[in-house]
Parts: sequence; C-alpha cells; structure tokens
Amino acid sequence: MQINPELLEKIVTEVLAELGAAGGSTAAVATAAPEAVAGIKLTEKGPAERGTDPKEVVLAVSPAFGTTFKTTIIGLPLAAVLRQVFAGAEEEGIHVRVIRVYHTADVAFMAHYAARISGSGIGIGILSRGTSVIHQRDLAPLSNLELFPQSPVIDLPTFRAIGKNAAKYAKGESPTPVPTNNDPMARPRYQGLAALLHNKEAGFQDRSKAPQELSVSFE
Amino acid sequence: MAIVAGIDIGNATTETALARIEGRDITFLATGISPTTGIKGTLQNLHGLRSSLGMALERAGFKGDDYRAVDLIRLNRAAPVIGDVAMETVTETIVTESTMIGHNPSTPGGIGVGLGVSIPFGGLSRASEGDSVIPVIEAKYDYETAASEISAAIARGVNVAAAICQSDDGVLIANRMPHVIPIVDEVSAIERVPLGMRCCVEVAPPGRVVSLLSNPYDIASLFELSPEETKQIVPVARALVGNRSAVVIRTPMGEVRERRIPAGELYIIGPQGKRTVNVEEGAGVIQKTVIDCYPVENIFGQPGTNVGGMMERVRRTMSDLTDIPIGDIYIQDLLAVDTLVPQKVVGGVAGEFSLESGVALAVMVKTEELPMQRLAKAVAEELGVKVEVGGIEADMAIRGALTTPGTKPPIAILDLGAGSSDASFMKTDGTVSLTHLAGAGNMVNTIIGSELGIDDMDLAEAIKRYPLCKVESAFHVRQEDGTVRFFDKPLDPSVFGRVALLHENDMLQPLMIPNISLERVRMTRRKAKQEVFVKNAMRALEQVAPGNNVRLVDYVVLVGGSAKDFEISTMVTDMLSRYGIVAGRGNIRSTEGPRNAVATGLVLSSTGGAQ
Repeated sequence: MQINPELLEKIVTEVLAELGAAGGSTAAVATAAPEAVAGIKLTEKGPAERGTDPKEVVLAVSPAFGTTFKTTIIGLPLAAVLRQVFAGAEEEGIHVRVIRVYHTADVAFMAHYAARISGSGIGIGILSRGTSVIHQRDLAPLSNLELFPQSPVIDLPTFRAIGKNAAKYAKGESPTPVPTNNDPMARPRYQGLAALLHNKEAGFQDRSKAPQELSVSFE
Repeated sequence: MAIVAGIDIGNATTETALARIEGRDITFLATGISPTTGIKGTLQNLHGLRSSLGMALERAGFKGDDYRAVDLIRLNRAAPVIGDVAMETVTETIVTESTMIGHNPSTPGGIGVGLGVSIPFGGLSRASEGDSVIPVIEAKYDYETAASEISAAIARGVNVAAAICQSDDGVLIANRMPHVIPIVDEVSAIERVPLGMRCCVEVAPPGRVVSLLSNPYDIASLFELSPEETKQIVPVARALVGNRSAVVIRTPMGEVRERRIPAGELYIIGPQGKRTVNVEEGAGVIQKTVIDCYPVENIFGQPGTNVGGMMERVRRTMSDLTDIPIGDIYIQDLLAVDTLVPQKVVGGVAGEFSLESGVALAVMVKTEELPMQRLAKAVAEELGVKVEVGGIEADMAIRGALTTPGTKPPIAILDLGAGSSDASFMKTDGTVSLTHLAGAGNMVNTIIGSELGIDDMDLAEAIKRYPLCKVESAFHVRQEDGTVRFFDKPLDPSVFGRVALLHENDMLQPLMIPNISLERVRMTRRKAKQEVFVKNAMRALEQVAPGNNVRLVDYVVLVGGSAKDFEISTMVTDMLSRYGIVAGRGNIRSTEGPRNAVATGLVLSSTGGAQ
C-alpha cells in the first residue's frame, strides 16, 4: 500500500495529542482554514426535553463535538458544518434544535435518540469526524432514512443537503435522497485515522449523563 | 378419448387450457400461464409455449415435460401487433435572449412584486440613492454576505426591489432582510440573466401562483408596452402560468416562441382512396381520418419524417420476424392519443421544463396465417405432438367468454390485451363479426412513461398495474382514495415519506421520480387508460355491433389480461352503461376470471361446435 506522508503525519499528530492528553496537557488539534465562521460556542442549557414543535428537527452531536474536536476528518470546521445544516433546514422553513449526547458515540443511536425527542419525529446525528445519519422516530435504531457512512467524502454542500432533506422529511415531503460521492479509496486511506478519532471520541462518553440541550452561537 | 391443449399466444402472456375430450364431452383439467417470449407469431414464442404447457401438465398431474401426453395442440391464429408505440413531440418552447425565468423553485424567498433594473451583485455598492435595482446574486456569495450587503444598500436609501439568486438561498436571505422583498432562487444559468435591463420579480404566497406576470395586460402595464408588444409577450405570460415565482426581463430583442415541429404526414389508404393527415393536427383529426377510411387497407408515413420512420420500422420488424417481404406487410389500424410531454425549454436559464404536446401512435399489422403455420410446424417437431392452427382470436375468445355463467348470444366481447383490443359480436344464430384494433396495455405504458418522464418500461407497467399510496409514517400509508391503512410491522425506511405503489402482498415500491405528486401520477394513469381502453372499446363495438349501432348490443363481456386491471374494467363498464349495455368482467368456466378465454375457445372449437 502506498503511504501518504500527509496522512501519516496527521495520524502521528493525533497519537501524540492523545498521549499528551493522557499526560494532562491539552489536546492540540490543527485549526482549520478560514471560513465565514471560524468558531462555535456550544453552551449547555440543561437536560434535553422531548419537543412538541412540528417545525423542529433535532440534531444530536457527539460527546466531544466542538470542544475537543474542531474539524471533521477532512478538516471542515465543525462551525461551518453546523451552519450549513442550519441553513439547509431554514431554507425549508424548519428550525434545528441541537443536543449533545453523552451516553453513546454511535451515530445511529444518537440520531435515533434525537428523532425520538423531536417534535417532527425527524432527527439528525453527526459525529465529530463527519459521519451522519437522518433518522425517524418509528424506525429501529440501526435502520435509518439516509446514512452518510463515509466521513471523508462529506463536504459542506452535502451537509447543507442533509439539513434540507431532514427538513423536507419533517414537512412530510418526499425528498430525493442526498447524492453522495463514493470513494473506494476512502477506506484504505482513512480507516486508521477514523479508528483513532473514534477511540478518542468514545473516551468522552459518560454512560450516566443524560443528553443536554445546547445553545449554539457562531463566532 | 383425447387430451387437447388450447394455447393462446398473446402479446404479453401465453395461456394454456388443457382438457380431456370424449366424444362431445369436454372436461377441463388445468390451465397454465407464462410470459410470451419474443413478438407473438414468431418462432421465439416456442420457449414461453413450453413453460405454459408444462405448467398446465404439472397441475393436471402429468410430468412437466411429458408433452407427448397431449394428443393435440391447438394454436390461435394470431394477429401480430407491434406494441412499438411512438411518441411524436409536436411543439417546442424556445426562449431567445433570456426574457423570463419560469422555473418553479420549491422555496423562493419573501412575497410580493418588485420592479427595477437588473444589476450584478458586485455593483450593489455603486448604486445610488433612489435607484430601483434588482441584484443578481451568484453562488459564490454566501447568504450572510448577500443579506448584509442588501440591507446596507437599503439603509443607504437604494430601493432594492427584489433579488435573483443562483443557489438555494431565497428564504435564508429573505429571513435576514429589514423588510420583505421577493427573491427567486435556484437560477442555475445565472450568467445568462441580462444585466442593466428593466426587470420584474414576483413571488406568490405559499399555495398560490403568480398573478401579475402570468397576465399579459399586467406585464404591459408594468413595462409600458404598446398593443403590438403586448401581443408578443403572450407566450411569456402563458409559460409562467401555474408557477409560484417568476421573473420577466424586458430586453430589446428577446421573445419566447412556441415552435411546431414538423412531425410528418400520415397517408391512410381505404376503399375510397388515399387520405392525408398531418400528425401535428392531433389525435382527434387523425382518428377521424382513420374512421373515414374504414376498413383501412394500409397506412404509410411521409418519407424522411419521424412518423415515416416509425411506420417503416414497424414494417421492417415484422418483415424480419416473419420473412414476409416488406412490401406485403399491411398496417391495418392505428390509434392516436394526445399527450403532454415534459421537455426542457430551449434557451431557458433555470432548467425550465414546459409541457409540450405530443401524439402517441399504436399501429397494427394485418393477420398473416403463414407465420403461425410455421410456428405450428416448429412446435410439432419440437414436442412431437400434432399441432393445428385454430380459428381467429376474437372468434375463439367469444366461445371462451360464453362459458361465463349468465351469458348467452347475442353477445359482444371485448378482449383487452397488451398489444391489441379485439371485439367480436355473436348473433343468436351463431354467426360472428369481429375486429382487431391497435392500442392496449403497452400503449398505456408508453403514455405513462412519456408523460412522467420515465424511461424504464417495467416501472411504467407497475404504475399502470398497481394503485398508489403516500407513506405518511413508518406504520401507515394514505391510499389514493384518501383512506388510511395501518401496518403491524414498520415499513422499509426507503419508502418513508414517498409516493409508492401498493403491490399485492402489501409490498411497497417507492417511486423515485423527483417532485412527483400522487395526484399527478394518478391523473396520468387514469387518463392514459381512458384514452386507450375506453376509446378503443367504443371504436371496437361500433365496428362489430349490428348496423354499427352500439345501442343494439345488450351484453358485453370483458376478457383478456387488461380486463383484470383494478380500474380498466370499471371505466369501460361505466362508459357502456350510458348506452344501456350490461357490461362486466368475464369469468371463464366460472373459475378463470377474465383470463384464458381464447385458450378455452380453442379447446371448445376442436369438437366442431359451440358448447
């Protein structure tokens, strides 16, 4: 297998950061390229409640989304990711409520939880590395409406389309599933990194902590 | 004692009736059905015939390949029909020098009408106070940037009347404005929007359609047009009817034209000579000409045109399959149906579609006994069974249909199949008049396919065959008649929120057609069936009825695969009841439903008489 020096460097940085974190110092994650919004502030507002508003879609983010992790696996700022999902839903007249899930880092269960407390019954789950799912409350957790399993091929227009389609499902429309790229090389190239990122994210799980409602402000 | 198999090779299915005959006593043993292989009346049918006969043999307790158990096979004298139905688009909408944007984005921003001069978004900062402008925003500008710059310009006193934008940002920008302005979005070819021109944008409230820009006199008032110019703007107004948002731009040269494509002429030869009809004139005129020429001897298309090509293709296919010289193939009937075909507007800036009119044509080739004899010979050699070619299909069908309880001559039958619609009428004395007409199930598929923009004929067939529903939750669907149906197990997530076809055994097949509504599919499907089957039922009965008067027919029995359809038979029954005719779906031998009529008739006729 051809070794990509850039990727290798990224993995080494991640591992070093992991070791550093274990040693007590703060994790150093490379900050992203300049975007319209550089950062987000996610403030917890207390336990996430079951919603009644049919105009809402609930978005569940993973335990370390936006705190330890600032970018997806391909370096998209998580701030831009959230902004695009919000924009996609807003264009359809739907509002996005954000919660942070602590009890799991499995995107299917996160999204299913979000769907179950969503007023419209539609939920989205996004992991820090970018993996996403659109879910509906009546489905089994490991089933879904639309799944975006390859985090390295999800770009910002795709996140916009995810927000838009989730909103369309909430409105009872029948959207065309979001077209996604399929990169057969994504697995060999990114598998190592994805595993590391998952491990790291799973470290922030707290099985005894209930999902928290978040308020999002862009900086 | 003899075992006789009546085998009916249809356009879509091959049906077998297996019976034991002792003297004049006939005992039916079993039936078989299988898809027809190849075009009917050709040697390719052999394969489908084997499996249909095999199925009947197995059901009757023989071995599936024990063909020698059969003493005699009787085949129908098929009327080969080419289901190759052609679509001719006869109109085309052309926009020269973009004068309008008439696409229908699902979420335009704001509400209202804005009139101003179109300017590039980058030039907004140079607009001076009091100017009425409409910025044209390319996709490279983010919605925040667009909204803040427009707000800043408004604060300076520039009258930003409306906006046109490339990405799907209409609502996002509108939500960030100090006051409501109409915004049309998703204009894909935004670079073609003329700049520096007077321009009007209208966005209607949700659930409404544009009212000003679809009215030529309102456009005239907005742009101060002369009566001559108003006349030219009519196609623009027409093209915008029914949209929620629209843009009209006044350019010095621009216009929207509807062009008629020369589709070619049809030459119909009847006993009184040749008549000419232009396909452009539509189905009504074509059909009238066909009736005027009855009985049609042959039909040609104008050489070098689309319709000429279609007629030649039919002749060549038939000639290749049957080895009959191309000059000896006679087209004996033609059914034309007007359709609307979604076509991309030439020169449009936002990928607009316009419904253009078209004509669907189905034709039928004259019966030839020769190929059937050839097939019979091939079957006899293959299976080692004596084979004979029985009577004409419609004649056989009526004998089969008379096994339906509650029927007696005089009676008419309509055999609605996949390739042809046949009718026959039997008088009390047993004499039969009959006709074979072009256009049946396959033509319905073609019309459904072209009106909904589907290339996949299997999908069109499924749309024809199954009722629709909309999946409203993981546990319930709303059916096309408005009733709700619940399911015990959760439905597959791939059908969630979609318009789907409700197959037998509760399987749901989602329709993956963008922006499709249940109502539109239903309307298209029902219209296609009305146009083909109801029209053909009338046409056929007029030809076989005594004195060509449909009112003189008392009983009509519907048979054939299409009579099994969930709504075709009720449509035909409903129409015929207006003429005081008792019509209904047949029930062959009280067990087979509307199927197996011809196969049954073939067996019955082997003893020489009716029942």
